[in-house]
Amino acid sequence: MRLPQWRRRQRADLDEEIRSHLAMAVQDRVARGESPDHAARAARREFGNVDLVKETTRDMWGWMSLDRLWQDVRYALRVLRRSPGFTAVALLTLALGIGANTAIFSVINAVVLRPLPFPQPDRLVSVSEMDLRKVTGGGVADSVSYPNFFDWRDRNQVFERLAAFRQSRITLTGAGVPQEVASAVVSADFFDTLGVPPLMGRGFRREEEKTSSHLVVLGEQLWRSSFGADPAIVGRAITVNGRPFTVVGVMPRRFTFPVTFPATQMWITIAEDARTENPGDTPITAQRGATLLEVVGRLRAGVSIRQAQAAMDVIARALGREYPDEDGSRGAVRIVLLLEELVGDTSYQLLVLLVAVGCVLLIACANIANLLLARGVGRTREICVRAALGASGGRLVRQLLTESVVLSIAGAGLGVLLALASIGLLVRLSPVEVRGLDQVTIDGPVILFAAALTVLTALLFGLIPAVHAARPQVVIGLKEGARTTAGSGQHRWRGALIVAETAVGVVLLVGAGLMLRSFDRLLATSPGFSPANVATMRFRLPDTRYSYTKQVRFYEELFPALRGLPGIESAAAVVPLPLSGNHLSLSFEQQGRVIAQSELPSADLGIVSPGYFLTMGIPLVRGRDFTARDDSSAPRVIIVDESFVRRYFPHENPIGQRIRPGLSADEKEPPWREVVGVVGDVRQERLSIAARPTFYIPYPQGMIVSPHLVVHAAGGRAPSEVVETVRKAVAARDPELVVANVRTLDEYVDRSIAGARFNTLLLALFATLGLLLTAVGLYGVTASGVAERTHEIGVRIALGAGAGAVLASVLRRGLVLTAAGLTTGMMMAAMASRLLQATLYNVRPLDPVTYAGVGLVLIAVALFACWIPARRATRVDPIRALRSE
Amino acid sequence: MAKHDRYQNRIELLQGTLDLLILQTLQWGPRHGYGISQAIGAHSGDVLRVDTGSLYPALHRLERQGWILAEWKVSDNKQRARFYRLTPAGRKQLLAERSRWEQLSDAIRGVLTRAAGQGEA
Repeated sequence: MRLPQWRRRQRADLDEEIRSHLAMAVQDRVARGESPDHAARAARREFGNVDLVKETTRDMWGWMSLDRLWQDVRYALRVLRRSPGFTAVALLTLALGIGANTAIFSVINAVVLRPLPFPQPDRLVSVSEMDLRKVTGGGVADSVSYPNFFDWRDRNQVFERLAAFRQSRITLTGAGVPQEVASAVVSADFFDTLGVPPLMGRGFRREEEKTSSHLVVLGEQLWRSSFGADPAIVGRAITVNGRPFTVVGVMPRRFTFPVTFPATQMWITIAEDARTENPGDTPITAQRGATLLEVVGRLRAGVSIRQAQAAMDVIARALGREYPDEDGSRGAVRIVLLLEELVGDTSYQLLVLLVAVGCVLLIACANIANLLLARGVGRTREICVRAALGASGGRLVRQLLTESVVLSIAGAGLGVLLALASIGLLVRLSPVEVRGLDQVTIDGPVILFAAALTVLTALLFGLIPAVHAARPQVVIGLKEGARTTAGSGQHRWRGALIVAETAVGVVLLVGAGLMLRSFDRLLATSPGFSPANVATMRFRLPDTRYSYTKQVRFYEELFPALRGLPGIESAAAVVPLPLSGNHLSLSFEQQGRVIAQSELPSADLGIVSPGYFLTMGIPLVRGRDFTARDDSSAPRVIIVDESFVRRYFPHENPIGQRIRPGLSADEKEPPWREVVGVVGDVRQERLSIAARPTFYIPYPQGMIVSPHLVVHAAGGRAPSEVVETVRKAVAARDPELVVANVRTLDEYVDRSIAGARFNTLLLALFATLGLLLTAVGLYGVTASGVAERTHEIGVRIALGAGAGAVLASVLRRGLVLTAAGLTTGMMMAAMASRLLQATLYNVRPLDPVTYAGVGLVLIAVALFACWIPARRATRVDPIRALRSE
Repeated sequence: MAKHDRYQNRIELLQGTLDLLILQTLQWGPRHGYGISQAIGAHSGDVLRVDTGSLYPALHRLERQGWILAEWKVSDNKQRARFYRLTPAGRKQLLAERSRWEQLSDAIRGVLTRAAGQGEA
């Protein structure tokens, strides 16, 4: 580590220039007759302080003269090495603070900030329809029906391209073991809208939407894993859901849309949805009430989101007038950036975490500032000497700030290493499946963030102590035997810093406390079924070989057979499985109430097999369960849940009432169905979302689209034990079927709370860190206060003060600071906790229990932190304290 | 604090004048730092004494600004020294500084004579 060559030469030049000046002055004096000795001394005196002249001259070489910086850095390193204890504590604190911030920011960078991997991503938008009927303030964004999408595509002038898709799963056979592949049914312009060309082959054409063309595009990953990267794959026939499809293209690995985990690897055209089971049926692509599409658009150049929104609203209103039954309540659209739609509320969760780690860093800064202030007291002598030797005040501040920056950079270096080590864990533990999470790295923007944070941190913790230390009273500081004490200004600053960091710590603690309370309530919430000992799995009956009646028969035979097998207590099927992330809703009519088609209420729908409620442990409150006799030829029946009864039959006996959901099995018109039973409420979407009114229909009288099997293991057996049994039973009937999605019901419940658990865990971790740092800070201030007051305490003890009085006087100061911090923090928390509202479950942001708990914890910790130095104060030996004077 | 401010004022006042004096001294030929301080002393009848703590920073600043150039030469009495000489830009700067100085001293003289005249009246 040396100065650059040119700079060293420049310094040598200056040295020589001054030497020659002195030599000439001496020569002149000797020439005038002075003795050489006297001449040398006089010339030296006349010249003045050589080092100061050199330094001020060097200042002219550049504003931030490199070598001065160099000198400061070397000095700082020496100072830091001289006090390894302080340096270690400060480095550790900084590494934790900056590391946590860097780690969280790297996630935010990958998920929220990094643009989508498509060309001109700022023109890609998500378009959804508003269901104005579910009015809770402006309506709810909903999926789009095929006919509406076609009309949007034909009528709009604002999109360069508009594409629709829906996620699906496809059974791929004939290429190795049969497997379920995440896939999507997409409209013609799908790949062009996103702007990604295929690796080979092509995308889909408009005319391939209508005819029942059997075309498929593969993902590069699947092409390599299942087709051996066959270069002649385009044009080859493969078996999709039991039918032959022709491969038309392969998409590159980086193309991952729609974003799914595992990644979507097959795309087929919407011709798939244009097929019908029986001639004469209306295909989904022609049903304006069947809303199952998501729509992405590429805005024309120069068209803003607002303009597009206005134009699309006009089209939506026109559709509402033309098709009042289906679109009457859907006269508006919602357009947001695609990135925004994909990231959803994850950015909010991440922001909460970033605020939390920001608080930790603030506390860390206050702590280090305090340490530096305390150290500044010890360094008064050193600084006074430097000032007396001619260092200017500005120069001293720069020197001290350099120390802070060196400390901060070293801490940040460790912090980035810490972040590097922890992001893997962070991502692996993260339960959220969101775009970008698989690409969290420490890249340019993250490094930039860490660097900015480093400078900011150094200024935050370094400025006050530097300015403070650089203004000592030189004479007092140099006086022989002057005791190293802190001035009153010092005490004020250190007190203020402790109050500030305690306040920030309280905000963190309140945040974490609220999350913990909320999570506790979530854990205590029953999903409405008993998940123990239930395994779930899924398979799809390919409709080429299984007509609707054949599917019904397959299940009718399978379930009784399963129930007879060893280890299985009961088995049933359901669509959709609670807490699996899916829910179906359907509008319905009530007998005796006339309501316009577009104003009909809707409720959640479950399609189940007999024995479902028993298998899931859902209580039957009234009436009866479905039986095998409720088949396709029997009178139509329906079971509702308690919240449905509360909402729609508040004062009547629901049994025997008739309702008509918009669903039919083989009838032309949806049939009226008689309520035969009432069951308990089940949380369908998430554990934290209350049950919505729900009705259940037996599958022979409704429909089945690859249901979840739920299997209750007998006699307390582990649910995993029955999976093989089921697999064998299914394979015995049809070896081509793939039993996939094997999970226990407990896992679904667990996944449903995983996000809350993750956030709570992190927030609690950060709050603990913050509390620890606050306690260390309070301890430090109290301890150094006691050390400085040793003399005074000695005098008091000598004058007869008891241990109790000394203890109280030390504790008092610590507790006054804590109380001030606590009060400020509580007020800040009361305002800030509103930010958490959206994540809290059954807990108000001003929950008194949390605030009281935080207060108690903080006071207990503060007492402990002050008690250690206070105890030491009581043991001061008055003789020694007085003699040390 | 007040003492500190006065010190600063003195530095600033000297700086502008010192530049002018250095440039003017170099007009008669290249000189080293010691020679410049001697010349200023001699030409002012030993009234102006240049502080080395101001001289060398000023020389290095003027060099940075491109108004003077430095090179190592051996002086008359065989001493290796760093000689400074005016650049064309420095010559132009000297003219500007001189006219500014003349304006300033004219103005001050005007104020002083007016005040003196009024005092007499």
